Amino acid sequence: MNFFKRAWLNVWAKKGRSVLLILVSSAILMFVLAGLLIRSAAVKATETAKTDAGATMTLSANRQAAFKKMQSSSSSSSSKSSRPKLTLTPVKLSDAKSIAKLSNIKNYNVTSSTTANAKSYDTVSTSTGMGGNSSGGPGGMKSTSSSSGDTQIDGVTSTALTTDFTDSQSKITKGRGIKASDKGTNNVVIEKELASQNNLTVGDTMTIKETTGSKSTLKVKVVGIYKASSTSSASAGPMSTDPANTIYASYTLANTIKGSKYAGTADSVTFNVTNPAKASATKKAGNKLISSKYSLSTDDSSYQSIKASMNNVEGFANKIVWLVAIAGTIILALIVILMIRERRFEIGVLLSLGEARWKIVAQFFTEMLMVIVIALAIAGVGGKFVGNQLGSQLVSQSTTTQTTSSGTSSQPGGGGQPGGSGGSGMRGGAGGPGSTTSSAKTKNPDLEIAVSAVDLAELGGFGLAITFLSIMIASGGILRLEPKKILIS
Amino acid sequence: MLRTEGLGYWYQDKEQPLFQDINLEFEEGQSYAILGHSGTGKTTFLSLIAGLDKPREGDIFLNDRSLKQIGLTNYRRHDVAIVFQAYNLFNYMSPLNNLLTAMAITDASHAGDRGYAQRVLNDLGIGDDLITRNVQRLSGGQQQRVAIARTMCCDAKLVVADEPTGNLDEDNTKEVIDQFQRIAHEQQKCVIIVTHEPDVAARCDHQYRLENKQFVRLA
Repeated sequence: MNFFKRAWLNVWAKKGRSVLLILVSSAILMFVLAGLLIRSAAVKATETAKTDAGATMTLSANRQAAFKKMQSSSSSSSSKSSRPKLTLTPVKLSDAKSIAKLSNIKNYNVTSSTTANAKSYDTVSTSTGMGGNSSGGPGGMKSTSSSSGDTQIDGVTSTALTTDFTDSQSKITKGRGIKASDKGTNNVVIEKELASQNNLTVGDTMTIKETTGSKSTLKVKVVGIYKASSTSSASAGPMSTDPANTIYASYTLANTIKGSKYAGTADSVTFNVTNPAKASATKKAGNKLISSKYSLSTDDSSYQSIKASMNNVEGFANKIVWLVAIAGTIILALIVILMIRERRFEIGVLLSLGEARWKIVAQFFTEMLMVIVIALAIAGVGGKFVGNQLGSQLVSQSTTTQTTSSGTSSQPGGGGQPGGSGGSGMRGGAGGPGSTTSSAKTKNPDLEIAVSAVDLAELGGFGLAITFLSIMIASGGILRLEPKKILIS
Repeated sequence: MLRTEGLGYWYQDKEQPLFQDINLEFEEGQSYAILGHSGTGKTTFLSLIAGLDKPREGDIFLNDRSLKQIGLTNYRRHDVAIVFQAYNLFNYMSPLNNLLTAMAITDASHAGDRGYAQRVLNDLGIGDDLITRNVQRLSGGQQQRVAIARTMCCDAKLVVADEPTGNLDEDNTKEVIDQFQRIAHEQQKCVIIVTHEPDVAARCDHQYRLENKQFVRLA
């Protein structure tokens, strides 16, 4: 295996050329590695997105079925004086519990909203010049009672599971949020502005007055104070109360305020799905457990958005890998061809000594292999940096594209955020102009670029393939060379 | 040892051959000079007997075996050593590594023997201070002596040289021809030198002139 020694002697003797080859190869491999790293990071990010972005499934009253029922009753009714009413059936918690038992459900949040009037405190008032506290925003549902209060009571299982808190639009600043253990208690979490206006702090009690029925008063205990990122009433619609007047409580307290017939019910129940990819299958299974009075809707837009974004990144990374690999092979092949032309006398001498042509090709391959091994090490160090730069650029571009497209597509209507408060109306109507788009809560994950042994092995494979191909392309010249033509001219 | 039978060569037109029907014999332990003007075909003849090209007609026999049978690569590896006017050494190696490389490729009996290669170089006036220096840093005469040393280290019984003194001054020319004579007489090899210099040819045991497509024996 004399060609190994010849290769080594050549690489060592022609240091300048070897360094140049190492630099060129390093640059090629660095971009290949960057592509590989971005690709694997995108795959990993998509996997992470399944758990982090998640998807939700909401059980609520079937508005469409209720509307049909209202239409049929109005046509059969002989009396034209009374206007037909859209009656929505509250969700039974027993149904929610049976859905929660499905394998893909991580946890669930019961939502029951109502309003009450302030008794022992003053509400935050905002003058918008658009009228007072009328009930029902554009997306809200018509209340079963015409009266409404100045304080919005959002009954939940846990504040930590509500979108306002998961999206960091609201944050607990003092005390704690509402937890599942607050079920059956009068514990509440109030907004910072409301608290400061009334000198309320954690541990204080406040009195609210029911807006319906006996209109009795209720003492509630402040267990936490939260800060909403936007407290302008304009953001919640012109018809709603100031968002600072929103009090979070257990859904049981909201139900109590609404009236005894609401016990064991909810406006809606939001289930967090473990694997968003299986959200539609879970919805299918859930639909079998409920009656037609209710409907299940899924919202995996966060996951889909991240998935689409990461697919873009992955696709682009794949293109980088292959384009750089092909371009690298061509560049290296051209360099090797030039190198071979420059060394044709050496090849002639080797052939005149009776050296086999394949051993001459093997010598060139070994020389390039030595170069590639060093280039691999350099690329291993530099590839992470290039990958980080390229990856963050790609993610930011991809995020912009996704947000633009999803924002455009989700504007008309949407998934039922409250358009305003409406007495004891249920939270989350069919989505009016006031609904927020799902893209607002989409947060693309940062690509975690890390060089693993697998990445390096894959890069080594690419390096080897690039070297092999470039030498094979260039060796066509070696195989055609005739020693007489080289040596005797 | 080496015999040509009806050897002929032409480039494009068979009717205008460089040489035709050449029947020559070359023996071990003898040196031969082939003289001729430029373009007469003496280098082409050398490329045929060196196994660098195939004859258009006729055949070449080494110890009664046709080169076609032996195979040109095999023949070049084991049976013939070539010295070129331009030395054609491996320019990224030292004289010692040039010899060791050639010995390894040709499967010489002393392959891998650094001491042997060193002795051969020393005998040819390449001192220990030069044997590990890059060949490009040696003079033309020194490089040609390294090229000759390369042929001496290999086991080939046939040594062919194409204008080996073409780039050398008078002193170096004399020295190089002396070395070829030593190879022929002491190592009992057959040395064939193609030259256009009558003085160089005169130092060889036998001389041929290539003229009018035929080899004419001068001495």
